[in-house]
Amino acid sequence: MTDIAFYALSALAIWSGWRVFRVDSMIRATFALMVSFICVGGIALLMSADYIGIATVFMMAVEMMVMGLFMVMFMMNPAGLNPMQMVHQHRFSIGAGIAAFIGLTVAVLATNLPNNPLPAGRDTLHDLGVELLGGSMLIFETAGVTLLATMVGAVVLSSRPGRFGDSDAGAVPPGLQPGGQPAGRKVEKSGGHGGHGGDSSYDMNMKGAPKSDDAPHKRHGKMPEEES
Amino acid sequence: MTFAPALTTLILFLAIGIWIAAILDAVFYRRISGQGGVSVLSPFYAAAAHLSRQRLTTEAPDRLNWYLAIAGYLAIATIGLAVVPFGPETAVIGIKTSVVLWGACESLVVVLVFLHGWSPNSPLALIGAYRYVAIGLPIMLLSMFVLIAAALPARSLDLRDIVASQEGLWNIIRQPLGLPLFLLLGLSLTLRGPFDYADSADLAGGTSVEDSGANRAGWQVARLAMLVGFSAIAASTFLGGYLGPILPGIVWLAIKTLILMAVVIGLSHLLARMPVARMLGLIWKFLLPIAFVDLLLAGLVALA
Repeated sequence: MTDIAFYALSALAIWSGWRVFRVDSMIRATFALMVSFICVGGIALLMSADYIGIATVFMMAVEMMVMGLFMVMFMMNPAGLNPMQMVHQHRFSIGAGIAAFIGLTVAVLATNLPNNPLPAGRDTLHDLGVELLGGSMLIFETAGVTLLATMVGAVVLSSRPGRFGDSDAGAVPPGLQPGGQPAGRKVEKSGGHGGHGGDSSYDMNMKGAPKSDDAPHKRHGKMPEEES
Repeated sequence: MTFAPALTTLILFLAIGIWIAAILDAVFYRRISGQGGVSVLSPFYAAAAHLSRQRLTTEAPDRLNWYLAIAGYLAIATIGLAVVPFGPETAVIGIKTSVVLWGACESLVVVLVFLHGWSPNSPLALIGAYRYVAIGLPIMLLSMFVLIAAALPARSLDLRDIVASQEGLWNIIRQPLGLPLFLLLGLSLTLRGPFDYADSADLAGGTSVEDSGANRAGWQVARLAMLVGFSAIAASTFLGGYLGPILPGIVWLAIKTLILMAVVIGLSHLLARMPVARMLGLIWKFLLPIAFVDLLLAGLVALA
């Protein structure tokens, strides 16, 4: 029974791990990876590591949700619904994949893995707590603070440089015509009841088109040329 | 009780709970709007109406994730209820880390509600999905501190021990900040009222806007099942679960679950929903510090 569960979970973990690289959407890849991790958590449960197994499920669900969200935000792929190529640098990644597989296989085969089944009723949770807050406390606390600092640093570094320059330097997109006004959405200066005529996307679309004389009368707002 | 009777109890508890939750929902709505009279069969009429309609689909949906989200939400609700002890030492899933398992259920709810909104490839559903994640993650964070605080007096992550530790004094008195904060999580998990950022009327149904026929019926049943599961967990964590005089434990658990279900449904009809940005500010700047205080007090009491 345990063996069947182990092989089923392992197969699903490997299959969903493979799917991460074959699907064409960031959200699908993210949650395929989550399924893979959940299966590994299930295997930990089979090995009587209750807390670690369930905590893996718990942490991975949150982490993958956040990761998916951040990937969609940073890649500017609206909602992650558009199909996109999920693998890059093919030659390098194939090489790295083979090297990692050989390395891990050698490590697993060369290691003398322990084989001592736990006595029934052993409180692994208590043992884990003593280990985490006893002998290994310094290691875990150091790693925790380092990871937190890394995360804050990564967010600060990645949020400053934008597509059109640094964010604190007032990044504006280039004009649609050379030397023209910046493209994109404009903030209305007048404020208040601009009405639908003030819709900036209308301005943007009309840039290159020939203007008819009655155009300003049809709209409540002003053309950008008149303001400048 | 061995496994088979416990499982039967679980299924009956869940089925009756869903039925009563649906009636309560209708009754509260009627009371507030000044109408009277709800048929106890009305949930079945609604279910029949949903099931007799055809199941529509959208252009290029992710069918697998769509169905998995609906089925998974119901499954997660059932797993949540399964860790609740129906009597001393009796729970369908009786493990030492049942509170952590419930935490995993909470975090998977966010994933599944997101997938439910993402999969149909439809704008309003998608907005609901992203909006829900923004609110669902921090409110879940808050519930973790509340649950750890509740686990401290029991010195155990096992819900059975947490119930047993309330023999003399319920956690609602020992940790008065805990239950109100935890109820907010319940509103969020069941997509209700002030925390209904996923399926609300301003998005024409949000993540379930494209659900019809059996899909919609399944999603509604799953939401009600989650309400039952959450209420049973909250009753066990703060109201002493099966503890009580004279009556059998399961009856006490049912009564307490019913009361909390009524409270959650009442709150969902009486409180208005804030804009997302304001709610985020409220959660991060106000509610989360309160959860820290709750944990700090529980820790100090445990040390003393």
